Amino acid sequence: MPPEQTARPASRPSRTARIERIFDHAADTRSLFLAPIDSRALRFTPGQFISIVIPLAGETRNRAYSIASSPDRDREADGLSPDATFEICFNRVPGGRGVDWLFERVVGDTIDFTGPFGAFTLDTPPSVESIFLADATAIAPIRPMVHRAASSAHAPIVLIHAAYSADHLLYQAEFEDLAGRDSEFRFEKIIAPEGAIYDRLFAECERRWIRGDSNRARRIYICGVGKGVIRLRDLFRQNGYERRSVLYEQW
Amino acid sequence: MAKLRVIFENGDPERVIEFDPAAAPFHHDGRPGSILDILLGHKIHLEHACGGNCACTTCHVVVKQGLPKLSEAEEQEEDMLDKAPGLTPTSRLGCQAVIEDPDAEVTVMIPRFTINLVSESESE
Repeated sequence: MPPEQTARPASRPSRTARIERIFDHAADTRSLFLAPIDSRALRFTPGQFISIVIPLAGETRNRAYSIASSPDRDREADGLSPDATFEICFNRVPGGRGVDWLFERVVGDTIDFTGPFGAFTLDTPPSVESIFLADATAIAPIRPMVHRAASSAHAPIVLIHAAYSADHLLYQAEFEDLAGRDSEFRFEKIIAPEGAIYDRLFAECERRWIRGDSNRARRIYICGVGKGVIRLRDLFRQNGYERRSVLYEQW
Repeated sequence: MAKLRVIFENGDPERVIEFDPAAAPFHHDGRPGSILDILLGHKIHLEHACGGNCACTTCHVVVKQGLPKLSEAEEQEEDMLDKAPGLTPTSRLGCQAVIEDPDAEVTVMIPRFTINLVSESESE
């Protein structure tokens, strides 16, 4: 059957942002600092993403990129100009044509996007202990969530960031600085071979928050790549944690 | 041939697609053979802000007929649907609900609003 001849246009308003700055965390990992050309700040909840319109071979694709900057942090301390600039962070993946296109952009180029989107968010600091688990660039949505969680008097917060090399532990100095200033925030790092990252995270979570005590009132936030995220989700949910207390985003 | 009838809550004209599920994928976003894949492959727009990866609810559809003909929803889809506005007992995410039966007749309604409309409006 021939395809329909007409398409419904996209109903969401698109915005345009200019690339103000590029920062390479590692050879395959980059941040873009984006300024909406209409100068209006992007209002978002920590954890959300924007959907970037990627032009590829005569068509466009929507690809999601988490907002790595925080609506709560001091912008100049983040190296951001005091305007509407926000940050996205991403890494090269095999066959990732969208991210290849992003890597080809230079300062001054513009991109079109819609959003923010996403339900993996943290709006109000939890009143119970919060555990954040992130794999490499999956720290992007977690970063503003941690800052929101720590933005006022709060229950204990633990962040475990895992990666296969030290230069893929992004924003390390920032989290160490926060841990130095905030006695209720703990920052822990795991460096493990790529295929073992989720085994290490699983073992650590099981030891401390499943076998370690009977407290099941914690809030768990998991972001990462592939089935390992689902294994971690199931570890908590199948061992007494409420379904809605275990939030996750699987890339 | 399977048949997918699409009703638009915003009043756009109804569309009917006849397709062979074995020919999936029809496009490149969403699960192969999913409602999103079928619609995009037949030039019918359905929002999918996350690229069809079960990370948002913008491809929320309400199944009006043929729900048993769709693949079973997994926990991740159910978690995401919890956040969808206008959730109904027959809601599915277009990127996850796959039609495999070559004799299936499925009708879906595409809601007017999604959860992100408010935050988008605020940012505009």
